[in-house]
Amino acid sequence: MSELAFLTATELAPLIQSRQLSPVELTNDMLNRIDSMDPSLRTYITPLHDLARHHAKKAEADIISGAYKGPLHGIPIGIKDNYYTKGIRTSVGSKLFANFIPDKTATTVEKLLGAGTIMLGKQNLHELAAGSTRTNPFFGTTRNPWNTQYMPGGSSSGGTASLAAGLTTVATGSDTFGSIRLPAAMCGVYGLKTTYGLTSTHGIFPTAMSLDTAGPMARSVSDLALMLQCMAGFDVNDPVSLKAPIPNYTEHLNQGIKGLKIGIPSYYLEGLDPDVEKLFQHAITTLQHLGADIKEMAIPELTLSTFSGYAIVTGEASNFHYEWLRTRPEEYSADNRAFFSAGTLTTTPQYVIAQQARRKMTEAFDKAFEDVDVLLGPTIPMTTPAFSENWVDQNLEVIRRCLPFTAPVNLTGTPGLAVPMGLDQRGLPVGMQFIGNHLSEKCLLQIGHVWERTEPLSIRA
Amino acid sequence: MEEMNMIRQGLYLQGFSVYEADTSYIHNILCTMNQAQASFTAFPHLNQEVPITIVDKALMRDE
Repeated sequence: MSELAFLTATELAPLIQSRQLSPVELTNDMLNRIDSMDPSLRTYITPLHDLARHHAKKAEADIISGAYKGPLHGIPIGIKDNYYTKGIRTSVGSKLFANFIPDKTATTVEKLLGAGTIMLGKQNLHELAAGSTRTNPFFGTTRNPWNTQYMPGGSSSGGTASLAAGLTTVATGSDTFGSIRLPAAMCGVYGLKTTYGLTSTHGIFPTAMSLDTAGPMARSVSDLALMLQCMAGFDVNDPVSLKAPIPNYTEHLNQGIKGLKIGIPSYYLEGLDPDVEKLFQHAITTLQHLGADIKEMAIPELTLSTFSGYAIVTGEASNFHYEWLRTRPEEYSADNRAFFSAGTLTTTPQYVIAQQARRKMTEAFDKAFEDVDVLLGPTIPMTTPAFSENWVDQNLEVIRRCLPFTAPVNLTGTPGLAVPMGLDQRGLPVGMQFIGNHLSEKCLLQIGHVWERTEPLSIRA
Repeated sequence: MEEMNMIRQGLYLQGFSVYEADTSYIHNILCTMNQAQASFTAFPHLNQEVPITIVDKALMRDE
């Protein structure tokens, strides 16, 4: 029953709850697909067949005995391999940690497994969750299921590519300067970068701590809501965790967007590839037809994001990796060794002014949200490139073009919902992102749900 | 050329191995940052802002 592979958790849950579908059947279907397709797609670093089957049998028994836990019970999930899993290798896609077996599990994974999800395996990522192409000399390069000659984006590409290929139902991602939204755009799936501190990062390998966030990825917005409901919330083990109240994200997703005020920063209209521009204009028209009130607006502070993003990501990453860069440099891929080394050559005043710029940008966003409900822009300005022979240069170039579009959300700590907006002329997905003020995830999910019903992947540039 | 030598020297002084192939990539990254820093001229008092920092609630009193 390979059609099971493309059903969403929201569609599968009632079948599982009513015992029309066994978690064992669903898990086996997914594992068989992984066996047949993953040798070429490389979306998993460590598939966990035996563990998944064991948990699926337990879920089946629990459900039969009446102990149904809720809509994630029995749902297959892929876990990005920078989330710690006790007793299970967590490689972070890095040769340095190729044999690292944590003695704890990330808080968000504990929550998701506690809700009854079935972990299919640990998923591939750009080395150390710090890159955008997903070329990985150590654990194999993940390929885009829409066309395997093309990159899937990064860093959470194991998750997004496995979603696009029907090799999992939902997946976890992390986003420091675009690592959920960028691969979601390139693979044509949905991803939510959460408000900084809303989801615990305890037990997630750091990339740049003042920017790191954990978030859900899925084939539908309602699945993102299910996952966020489980992942969000205060964690005493995470010093930056927020004590904010958690709303019911799954309720009222059908609210509609009539009268919604959407601002499009002119910053997000510059430097777009022609197909991205064409699809974005089409998306604007569609949103207007759905009743949204859309206007272009100037937020000059967004121009600060490129420098700040680079200075903070390279600075904090190089700080964390400093000793290893000195003693084990050959265990880094050349792109990240260069990226992190650049951070050792920037100055303290540069790092500090980057953090000062964040305050300016956050204040500018706050002001913008007095005028509009959400901001909207293409997730990235470019269409998906084919893999290049010079993958080091290619990764640094993709970061150079895409970081200015993705980093503002990280730098301001705001949430960003990545959704597909169509296919380019080559048939590859292109995405856009709704950006809300802090803790506006529920509003973003409501908007995204309306957008999803327009069937964006049926639109071609 | 002088900039490339400064990169090599900067890495060497910190005790890093200098990979010749890496230096042009590092140079490109630093050039991107320097160009981007030009946008700061539109915000002349940026250095008077309080930097955003990670605040560990477990380590400070808030009452």
